[in-house]
Amino acid sequence: MMDMTPAARQQLDDYLQRLRSQLRATRADVAEEVEQSVREHIEIALDDAPAPVSGTDMIGILDRLGSPEQWLGEEERAAASGIGHSGGDDSRLPYVAFGLVLASIVSFMFFGFLLLIPAMFVSRAWIEQKRERGEPLGSKRWLVYPSIALVLAFVALLLVLAPPLGAMALVRGYVAQSFDVPADPAGELRFDAGLRAVMFGAWWIIAGALCAAFIRPIRFLFLPLLDRVRRKHFAVLSAIGALLAATGAALIYYRH
Amino acid sequence: MTDLSFDNWMTQLRKGLLELAILNSIVAAPLYGYDIVRRLSDVDHLVITEGTVYPILSRLKNSGLVETYIEESQEGPARKYYRLTPRGRAELHRMNQHWDSLHHAIGGLRKQGKR
Repeated sequence: MMDMTPAARQQLDDYLQRLRSQLRATRADVAEEVEQSVREHIEIALDDAPAPVSGTDMIGILDRLGSPEQWLGEEERAAASGIGHSGGDDSRLPYVAFGLVLASIVSFMFFGFLLLIPAMFVSRAWIEQKRERGEPLGSKRWLVYPSIALVLAFVALLLVLAPPLGAMALVRGYVAQSFDVPADPAGELRFDAGLRAVMFGAWWIIAGALCAAFIRPIRFLFLPLLDRVRRKHFAVLSAIGALLAATGAALIYYRH
Repeated sequence: MTDLSFDNWMTQLRKGLLELAILNSIVAAPLYGYDIVRRLSDVDHLVITEGTVYPILSRLKNSGLVETYIEESQEGPARKYYRLTPRGRAELHRMNQHWDSLHHAIGGLRKQGKR
């Protein structure tokens, strides 16, 4: 989502409202596709504009696009509303995915959340199918997002938390021998907190750099949740990691 | 011809030519919507309002002349690329032939008028 001023947001909302109003007579999927294309156009056109996008920049782009009333003439609307759609769409997949999510909740006592995994693969298959055809996901996306969000949130937590916790368990004894760990509980707590912060911080620096370097596979793994994420966002993760590691190092240094 | 009727004539001509121009713009390689608009905007007087291109692209897709696919971009949001289908390529060949023959015929008429 673009970062924009309230004035720019208002202009964009007004424009899209007018566009939707003009597209009302067309078939829903055609209307959605045209709107999606216009949104993509605006986003790419404003890619180099300084953030937050100002009302002046926004109005420049919208002026060049022209008013929807002007470019979406009667003839175009009639043509857009009457043409059949090529290719089949397995519209049952989102329902299957959502059904598996519900089944996973109901059968939690027996299978845990195992059913979420096939639900996620079904959801992703449907999303891939729609993308290959260049079609918008439409309102059915809300049937496929829950399984993807739940599984990927678990994977993300695992990637962010598991390596430093594992490393902590491995090195705690060795570090405790090498450092003069305070005997008092408060000092020991400070030392442990510092060590944890260093471990987490160091891992997040590495993870941020790896994700930035391999952004395409990471986007693919987390499809479609990270579509708009760019390298600079992973730099933020590395920066937070650096801050955390520095805080942890300070806690260890001033442990007494 | 008055300014008003010239404008009308230009509008009709543009409307007819836009489809041909769009199809020709993606004949060599697939392009995404914004790129198509930029290329067509380089042709004088062809695209007055950039948004005009999108309903036409949607119509060409629904007619089976072009197809789309989404590709991730390093520079921003994922982009929808348009490419010609085999049917679109055949249709474009016919359209280009017809355009060439029209252009030739109009040229002939103009030559006759100059004599």
